[in-house]
Amino acid sequence: MPKAPVRSKPVAVAEVILPRVSPLADVAVQGRFGADRGAPGVTFSVRHPLSIATVIARAGKGKATAQALAEYEPRWAGPDQYFVVAQGRGEGALYRELKSALDGIASVSDQSHGRVIIRIEGPKVRNVLAKGTPVDLHADEFPAGKSALTQMAHVGVHMTRVGEDAFELSVFRGFSESFWEWITEQAEEFGYQVR
Amino acid sequence: MLIPCPHCGTRPVEEFTFLGDASVKRPASNDPSSMEQWYDYVYLRNNPKGRFDEFVHHSGGCRAWLVISRDTETHEVFGCVTVRDYGKTKGGKA
Repeated sequence: MPKAPVRSKPVAVAEVILPRVSPLADVAVQGRFGADRGAPGVTFSVRHPLSIATVIARAGKGKATAQALAEYEPRWAGPDQYFVVAQGRGEGALYRELKSALDGIASVSDQSHGRVIIRIEGPKVRNVLAKGTPVDLHADEFPAGKSALTQMAHVGVHMTRVGEDAFELSVFRGFSESFWEWITEQAEEFGYQVR
Repeated sequence: MLIPCPHCGTRPVEEFTFLGDASVKRPASNDPSSMEQWYDYVYLRNNPKGRFDEFVHHSGGCRAWLVISRDTETHEVFGCVTVRDYGKTKGGKA
């Protein structure tokens, strides 16, 4: 007589919360690097952990989406497309909030784990970025709050000016280490600090 | 060569991927008698000297499909519009 299949008891699955680890945790070592005379030309920091979501307006809903997003300081990311960034939010909280706020007018997807945002600031920030991008970074052309999609060292970069001498660069997580190595190398001649 | 992207502003050609002639028209019929037209549409391309409209994808920027009008001899760029706007103008004009 064939044996009855062994049925295991249902096991209660505990909710597993994985701690978020920055992909640059081991790479972005704090300290002072490169030219060591005078004040550092630029300062790098990794904005982590961060909630990031992309918003893409449905056909004909571009204006409605822009209006609904006004309070979130959206970052332009293509025609009728935006990045929304927030700090100190719970896992998926920003995504769920945007999804209900934009129901029917835009598609939202959570990018918090997919992208890394590197902040670069200091008196030499334009000199460093200009080595990688053809975008005109003069404040008349590229004021604070403006964003651009471009490429640096063959890596797709979403760039936002967040202050007079401060930019935030958003790259795919998988490219972040290689991008970090490239951009810090560009900053060596000016001296840089990692915070 | 600098390309005036309608979304991103002037960007270098390295950010773009070229697809080719924007003037080819897909045959309306699937009838076997239209095979000549299909052959033409799929395989045959002109190589004109002078003004030429072609599809480009702004792969290193806004990722939109565009049509650029340029001179194949001098690389002078006459204009660049989105494919949607290109389709709206009769016969297409970048």
